[in-house]
Amino acid sequence: MGVSLRESVELIADPRNLDASVEEVFQTMMGGQCLRAGEEAAAYEPESVTAVVGFGGLFSGACVFRSDSGTAQLLAGRMTGMEFPELDDTVRDAFGEICNMLAGAWKARVPTLAGHCGLSVPAVITGRDYNIHVQSPEFRVHHFFTFEGAPFDVTIICDGLR
Amino acid sequence: MRRQFRSMGKLAFKNKRRAPINALWRGNLGMSEIRTLIVDDSSVMRKIVERALRQAGLDDGLVVYEAGSGAEALEVLKGAQVDMILSDINMPVMDGLEFLRQLKAQNLAPGVPVIMITTESSEEHVKQAIQCGAVGYIRKPFTAEQVKERVLPLLTAA
Repeated sequence: MGVSLRESVELIADPRNLDASVEEVFQTMMGGQCLRAGEEAAAYEPESVTAVVGFGGLFSGACVFRSDSGTAQLLAGRMTGMEFPELDDTVRDAFGEICNMLAGAWKARVPTLAGHCGLSVPAVITGRDYNIHVQSPEFRVHHFFTFEGAPFDVTIICDGLR
Repeated sequence: MRRQFRSMGKLAFKNKRRAPINALWRGNLGMSEIRTLIVDDSSVMRKIVERALRQAGLDDGLVVYEAGSGAEALEVLKGAQVDMILSDINMPVMDGLEFLRQLKAQNLAPGVPVIMITTESSEEHVKQAIQCGAVGYIRKPFTAEQVKERVLPLLTAA
């Protein structure tokens, strides 16, 4: 009999997994604590940075990590110990890696999921006035946070579970 | 001071930086240099791994080679001898598992310990990496202490 994640859906969709994953990654890699923020969509000015890591296998979907360019520069700085006055390739690289670690930490929270779900390499998108739309997701967990006062949000989207 | 390592591709270079501190582990291990190849498609992550090694006490004598994929790493190893390899798994062009298979198939770096540093950390992934020849596993995110715990016993054994 094959493995199915369907019966673990409540465990997988538990919103506390996302908070714990964010806490783990930020504490370990940036040495600081994140605070949960309100549920309102933050307006990321002057431009937003979005990193996406896809999930494949028995669980398909994506981990989406978003912030403004200032937050991205701050996080890259905390991660590398360098200063970034602008949004350059190193900042984008660091931002993608944070998303990668968030995705990995999130799926590792549920052992049955971890073994049957692969990760894509991160893609990073920068710009203004764009949306990421997923048609009828199975579930979505979307939380807002701040790190040293800088806002960001993380979304786990599941568009298929077998 | 960093210079391009000729013929190794744009992401591969030899890092000659030396800090005149902490020869503790180098001395204990009886090694004048610890030549380490770090393989990761993220240049930021390669720097973070290098920093973790230095924080773990391997600062003095650490010589770092870098590669952005398994394919680049194989090229580096055709021209350089290393004491240890730290590799990501999820990489474009050639992933970490295929890199391990190719290492074996091409008999490159025989006996050199390979540690995977990756977000893929399920039991299945660990088993697969060990079957392909890895001797250790570090999950991202990681601390310098975790790197030290995994790396030093391997160097001592070598």
